[in-house]
Amino acid sequence: MLIVKVCVGSSCYIKGSQDIVELFEKGIEEFNLQNEVVLTGSFCTGKCNREGVTIQINDEVHVGITRDNFRTFFKNNIVDIIEKKRM
Amino acid sequence: MNDLCADIGYKSINHFGEELCGDHVDVVEENDNSTVIVLADGLGSGVKASILSTLTSKIISTMMAEGLPIEECVSTIAATLPVCSIRGVAYSTFTIIHIIDNEVAEIIQYDNPHVIVIRDYEQYDYPKTEMNIGGKKIFKSSIKLHENDVFIAMSDGCPHAGIGGKYNFGWKREDIASYMQALVAGGYTAKTLSTMLVDECNSLYGNMPGDDTTACVVKIRKREPMNILFGPPSNRDDADRMMSLFFSKEGKHIICGGTTASIAAKHLGKSVQASLNFEKSDVPPIAYIEGVDLVTEGVITMNKVIQYAKDYLKNNELYEEWNFRKDGASLISRLLFEEATDINFYVGRAINPAHQNPDLPINFNIKMNLVEELSKCLKKMGKRIKVSYF
Repeated sequence: MLIVKVCVGSSCYIKGSQDIVELFEKGIEEFNLQNEVVLTGSFCTGKCNREGVTIQINDEVHVGITRDNFRTFFKNNIVDIIEKKRM
Repeated sequence: MNDLCADIGYKSINHFGEELCGDHVDVVEENDNSTVIVLADGLGSGVKASILSTLTSKIISTMMAEGLPIEECVSTIAATLPVCSIRGVAYSTFTIIHIIDNEVAEIIQYDNPHVIVIRDYEQYDYPKTEMNIGGKKIFKSSIKLHENDVFIAMSDGCPHAGIGGKYNFGWKREDIASYMQALVAGGYTAKTLSTMLVDECNSLYGNMPGDDTTACVVKIRKREPMNILFGPPSNRDDADRMMSLFFSKEGKHIICGGTTASIAAKHLGKSVQASLNFEKSDVPPIAYIEGVDLVTEGVITMNKVIQYAKDYLKNNELYEEWNFRKDGASLISRLLFEEATDINFYVGRAINPAHQNPDLPINFNIKMNLVEELSKCLKKMGKRIKVSYF
């Protein structure tokens, strides 16, 4: 089970956390991951960046997620990891 | 002293085509528990009426608040008001509601439609004493205040609404009273009640008011304290002191700001659950902490609250936006504008490293200004504000 926390604090909010949440919802549906991923929000994790949104997956913090790099991020950190677990 | 207080709100619309309003409402606080409210309606409309009513209300409210008797106020006005060159009279009608120690309301009325009083959701016909001061017929009443009493003062623009159009003889005072009686049961604030009455008059006038129209509502209610925490303390060691002070206070507790929320959660030994519900696209989602009434994001939300507060004090046009939604800014607005009477701010002066980013439209000064601006607005709404910095 992956617990994904999308930061909705002031800084990330301005940089588009709403879009990222939407992309996550679509991605989870597309790959049928409803049973493997829990999507929640978090307030500022103190990792504010110049660009993009901060996302915490279990205990790992990723910064700088934008609309443009979301696809790669989602594949590397969500889809691939779950598939590895399934094998 | 009792635990009652007066919620005061008013709204005016101008005679169609006029830039200025010939009605004027003036509110002067004598002390914490006594207030003088004067609604004056100047003869005619436009500049002349505006000057007459402003002078009248200012003179009366200032003199009354200084404790001078009504006779003296009236004679001063008669001696001061400029005489109309066309009609040869100096004339402005007025209604005075004098709240004394939050226990008694003294109502003095001269030629305005009589004040409507609603008590326990029923119209209340209060006794009036007729006096004659300088040839003017003045009615005086003294009413002991109860919780939920609502006083509605208006200029004659209200009962004249719809004259010759929707109604043959305008909107009668009794009909206004029963209209307001139904609304009072809805539990709205004074400002909202006055807005609803004036807006209804405006629509009866077909959006072209034939007279300046003003309603002023005074609602007697119980004091309701509210506490709001905004920002972490500048010195980390003060965090616990700040939290225990905040949580020890009576009333609801609101926390604004992500970092602040996590400090509070740690203090309580609970976790912060942020929701991903983007209720409104320009306000970040709220969060939940067990034991806290409301947790929101900080600066962006607060900015929106101030926008709502400023509008509420003026035209109250965004009311429908914040009155029903569930985003952070709307929730705070409802708690602060409608529910609270005494608001304690606990403001932390810590500098958020995230706000030092030059790309962000936020900085430390803006944050401190937000609190100042909001407390100024809330004071204008008649709330008692206390701000403590950490």
